[in-house]
Amino acid sequence: MLSLAGDGQHGYGIMQEVLERTGGKVRLWPATLYGSLKRLIEAELIEESDERPAPELDDARRRYYRLTGIGRRVLDAECDRLQELVRAIRIKQALVTE
Amino acid sequence: MNFALRIYRRLAEAFPHEFKLVYGTDMLQLGEDVVEEIAKQNGIAGLIRLIADIAFRVPVEYLSEMRRDLRYAVRALMKSPGFALVGILSLGIGMGVTTSVFSTLWAQMFRGLPAVTNAEELVIPQEPLSYYYIQQFRTQKSLLAGVAAFQNGVPFNVGFQGNENAKPQRVFGQLVSAEYFSVLGVKPQRGRVLNPEADKPGNAPVVVITDRFWRNRLNSSPDALGQTLRLNGQTATIVGITPRDFRGASPQAPTELFVPVTVSAAVAPELADDVLDKRDAKVFQAIMRLAPGVRIESAEAGLDALTRQLDEQDTPNPVRADKSRRVTLAAGGTMVQIPRALKPMVVGFNVVLIGLILTIACMNLANMLLARGAARRKELAIRLAIGASRFRLIRQMMSEGILLAMLSGVAGLALAYWLSILRSQLRLPQAVPMELDYSLDWRALVFTFALAIVCGIGFSLAPALQATKADVAPTLKEGAAIQLSGYRRFGMRNLLVVGQVAGSLMLLLITGFLVIGFSETNNFQTKFDAKTMYLLSIDPARDGYPPEKTQALFEKLSGRLKTIGSVRSVAFAAQAPFSVAGGMVQLSAATDSRDTSRVEKSVVKQTVGAGYFDALSEPILAGRQFEKRDEQSTSDGSKTLALPVVLDATAAHGLFGNGQAIGQRITEDKRSYQVVGVVGDLKNGIPDETTLSGSAYFPLTGRDFASPPPGGITILVRSDAGMDALRAVRGEIASMDPNLSLFDVRTLAEHLELSRSFLRLALDTYGGIGVFGLLLAALGLGGVTAYAVARRRKEIGIRMALGARKVQVLRLVLREGAALVAVGTVLGFLGAVAIVKALSALTSIFADAFKVTTNDPRLIIGAPLLLAAIAMLACYIPARRSAKIDPLQALRDE
Repeated sequence: MLSLAGDGQHGYGIMQEVLERTGGKVRLWPATLYGSLKRLIEAELIEESDERPAPELDDARRRYYRLTGIGRRVLDAECDRLQELVRAIRIKQALVTE
Repeated sequence: MNFALRIYRRLAEAFPHEFKLVYGTDMLQLGEDVVEEIAKQNGIAGLIRLIADIAFRVPVEYLSEMRRDLRYAVRALMKSPGFALVGILSLGIGMGVTTSVFSTLWAQMFRGLPAVTNAEELVIPQEPLSYYYIQQFRTQKSLLAGVAAFQNGVPFNVGFQGNENAKPQRVFGQLVSAEYFSVLGVKPQRGRVLNPEADKPGNAPVVVITDRFWRNRLNSSPDALGQTLRLNGQTATIVGITPRDFRGASPQAPTELFVPVTVSAAVAPELADDVLDKRDAKVFQAIMRLAPGVRIESAEAGLDALTRQLDEQDTPNPVRADKSRRVTLAAGGTMVQIPRALKPMVVGFNVVLIGLILTIACMNLANMLLARGAARRKELAIRLAIGASRFRLIRQMMSEGILLAMLSGVAGLALAYWLSILRSQLRLPQAVPMELDYSLDWRALVFTFALAIVCGIGFSLAPALQATKADVAPTLKEGAAIQLSGYRRFGMRNLLVVGQVAGSLMLLLITGFLVIGFSETNNFQTKFDAKTMYLLSIDPARDGYPPEKTQALFEKLSGRLKTIGSVRSVAFAAQAPFSVAGGMVQLSAATDSRDTSRVEKSVVKQTVGAGYFDALSEPILAGRQFEKRDEQSTSDGSKTLALPVVLDATAAHGLFGNGQAIGQRITEDKRSYQVVGVVGDLKNGIPDETTLSGSAYFPLTGRDFASPPPGGITILVRSDAGMDALRAVRGEIASMDPNLSLFDVRTLAEHLELSRSFLRLALDTYGGIGVFGLLLAALGLGGVTAYAVARRRKEIGIRMALGARKVQVLRLVLREGAALVAVGTVLGFLGAVAIVKALSALTSIFADAFKVTTNDPRLIIGAPLLLAAIAMLACYIPARRSAKIDPLQALRDE
């Protein structure tokens, strides 16, 4: 979902972005990727996007996806939660090292 | 790489239609895009990951699609609750009955004895044998790996250590030879089991107790081993406890104690008179383990030859040369030991019954689904037209069928569970209470659900295929009701209705034959109010009475009870009236004065005392009944001094035809008797060949008093004073000897009620099955007629607009139903006749019941008429709706 935070993306794009972001460690395999997309669409967290990039970059066969309003809110909430978690861990670590 | 891509494409094709519609191209595209990159980066491992990933997602996606199908199916079923309920009930009852029968059958015939090693190697002779013969069997080392003798259902009055003053408890046990446990391969839970080295004649009495005895009567006391029990007044030490599940070599009779046969007759009166050495005292059963690789047939042949040889040593000039087997072996390692010859019949009968029920239930469901599919033709056509794949629709209809079947399976399981509880609560009128395990088998669970799924798939597939075959265009254009030409065809639905009617009639006739046959052969009739007779049992030998004093006790008892004012008559018997506890015996009588040829008949043995027939108000047809002097007779039935015997009319007729029976000599197992009287037939309790074979009444003598059968001696007291009489009898007995324990106190009416409980259960089951079949057929037929009427609305509307009267329309609809019913009835009748013939050929048990009833006009004419009437009623109710059709409305619908 994070990879959709910016602009709408297509499947290949999502895969590439995750690959880059994790330094090549995490690869979303195609079928898993589309399975997840399907579930996210069913949960109404993402939707298909009509906005298409400049025609020279576009591939007509590709579907583009973007976050919905709810999806964005869920993403924000999830980010907050993870940040809280990281902060809690940091404090714990600080306590231990002292 | 290309290869990987090919597999990838193939797998991408395999995804569910819905998934492919949306993501198929993208996913394929993505795979093609990345395959090169992956191969470069991760090599072969990466390609394998790629394939594995997609291969894993295919079933996952299907499951999620199926969940959606199921949700849709649930919604669809909830929208037509009537359809769902009828479907679930009909298939559920079918499955419940099937599971129940399957569990019982499996438990009885195939489940190995608990806690026994290699139960399939065990064999058990059908006949009781003498201890001496069983010892001789041991010499057949090439055939048998082990031989042990035991006597089942032996009652012990047990007193407990430290509790000497309490009244002893009556507990059933087995007398076993020391090899018993090693033959069965049973290891003790604690202590030791009996074995030939440790348990020799003359040793101090020991006893092995079951886990149940230990838990229930000794409160699982950790110090149980080494404690002593008082068995019939004698001390015996507990040396071991058997494993938790172990229930002895014939688990249908609960055993709580195992007492070695080496104990004295004071501990077990069964061992009096040196029965262990008497060659003709056939009071033991054998349990044997076959030697490795020996088949049951060859063991039987070997033992039969040995038995013949032993028999001939006894009687140098055998009276008769009979060719039948003297020893027949049955598999001994199962819960119920059914004779080999009977096994196919028992299995066959149940399979036929189960098959019929299931077929009818499934046909009903198929029919309903078919009608439903047809009704939904328009919906399906629309969905096909807007692009649903045929496979998708079939899958959906099938998931509906499977859901229905699974729900039926649950309903069926609940029913089966309830039936098993019902069965376990059933009490049978036996001296030794039987205890069968009727709990549901896990196999039955698997069986039911496998059946549910098969039924679900099978009976939704056909309608689904038919419904989706519809040509889309005409269906959409004209509506489903237009295909008038089709209704007269010999279609699948008509075939199903015919099959259903035929199946129901078969079921109704077969169960009807059995129900009426059994109840007619088991029609007890007492000539007085059965509530005014009390039955009480006592067993003085096990209360510690020495054998020589028992006769005097009974004489005194009889005299004392007769002095009670309200008591009209008192008699003794070795078994309750109308019971077969005495077993069968073979009588033989000379047909002429020179004894050149003999006639044989097997009859039920009843041992009764003086005044027995008077007490039952049974008139003596000829001769006399037993008197006091017969009870005192000391004769052992040798040739010179015959014992008196009374025959019932059936037995007398069987042995002597229309000739004079009184004064004739008959022999039973080398003992000689003289017929002194003939009485009318008193019917017995269990519905099998014994009911038609007649009874012989033997006199109760001092020997019976000294060593009563497992059920004790039954005292019959007749009185009109109700409970007061019983109280007086109890008081009188207590005043004679407070230590005498009375058990099994009941009225004759209660006893008869109990005797019939088994029969009643059987009749209720069969009757229930018959009624169930009838109900199903009616439902099926009603459904089909209702559907036909709905489909021909327009045709009927036109007819009525043209002036047809309501009666004419009704006749039109009914005629079609009547034709189906008629064809079904004829087929069903023929089928029932065929099955009855086949079953009768298999066993005399059915032959006897069928003989009485297959000519019964109530069934031959009544059953088809009843079925036809109900079927026509089922047709009529929906047909009536046809007459209510408003022609204007019907035509406007177009």
